[in-house]
Amino acid sequence: MIRTLLWLLGGLLLGGLIHLVTILMLPLLAEDTTWTRITQLEARNRVVILPPALPGEPNPFHLDTELSYGLCQVDLADGPAYLSGILPDAFWSVAIYNQAGIVTYSTTNRDGIGQNVELGIFNADQTRLLAQQQIDIAEGLLVVESRDDDLFILVRLAPPHEIMRPRFEQELSKLTCGPRPAA
Amino acid sequence: MRFVLRLLLSIALALATGFGLSYSALTDGRLFGATQLGAWTTWPDIGSPLPNPYTRAHIAREAALHLGRSEGLQFIAHADSAGEPLDLACSYRLDGRSPVSSFWTLAAVDGDWVNLAAPGSDAALRSSEIARAPDGALRIHVGTALRPGNWLELTGTGPFSLVMTLYDTTALTGFSSADTTMPAITREACR
Repeated sequence: MIRTLLWLLGGLLLGGLIHLVTILMLPLLAEDTTWTRITQLEARNRVVILPPALPGEPNPFHLDTELSYGLCQVDLADGPAYLSGILPDAFWSVAIYNQAGIVTYSTTNRDGIGQNVELGIFNADQTRLLAQQQIDIAEGLLVVESRDDDLFILVRLAPPHEIMRPRFEQELSKLTCGPRPAA
Repeated sequence: MRFVLRLLLSIALALATGFGLSYSALTDGRLFGATQLGAWTTWPDIGSPLPNPYTRAHIAREAALHLGRSEGLQFIAHADSAGEPLDLACSYRLDGRSPVSSFWTLAAVDGDWVNLAAPGSDAALRSSEIARAPDGALRIHVGTALRPGNWLELTGTGPFSLVMTLYDTTALTGFSSADTTMPAITREACR
């Protein structure tokens, strides 16, 4: 009897180990990830407006039907990435995701940014050059340091009414994204 | 023979515990990375740059575009406040208050996250569009049957979930007790 209980205890311990390995390995083994889905959108260095999540249709990104979304994929190995432009006077937010789909930075226009989006994303080396004033940046640029090079940026914009969505998405698509062109 | 039986029993227990616990952690998640406020569940760590391993696995499993922590927080309810699973055969009433936010949206989705709004109706309700009680409390009706006042009109049959997304919110920040108050979900008539 005691021997059987010891075997069961061993099974429980092994189950705990399987659980921990599953949780830790899942992000590494997942094949259909946010990153693979984003890559199919061909949003490298340009803002792509995501199709609206309409009722009755698949919504793999779990988008909010009330919002408009602009997405841009960047690689800091090409140089610092900049997101700039002007958005309509409504709620908007910016989130930067790494390859694992984790939000490494986010902000909203309630943080005093207003309608101007001026965001510069730098990796560790570029941040050091920035500190040494070897990279010129515009005054007022919001500097974000990233530990990863491969990133995507998502801008959420909330049109107050559905009828304003086309105009808001047009403004969203005018945002520029990617490395700054050589002068 | 007894050795083989014990070994098989032990392996079966290990597999059931290991994978069962992992499935529970990544779906329900309450004992792990998720937080429950009444009928509503959220993963507060999901918008953090350094999420815990359970939230990280949940992010990988969902492969969705989650909100950053400063953007907001998304709550989901699979059951009403009495613990009964939400079903499109029934009407539901949401009463109470939500944490402070710039605005929120409320939508109904199925298990594949397909929006269940009826054709020709709003896909989601927004906080700025609803009528409130004089004391600021909200009352929203949800379901396929015609209801008075604020009504999220749905279509279809079967189980569903309610998703309340709070943008620019103080929810779960610990500023006040109002940060942890979500509307109660009450089941009304069923077909």
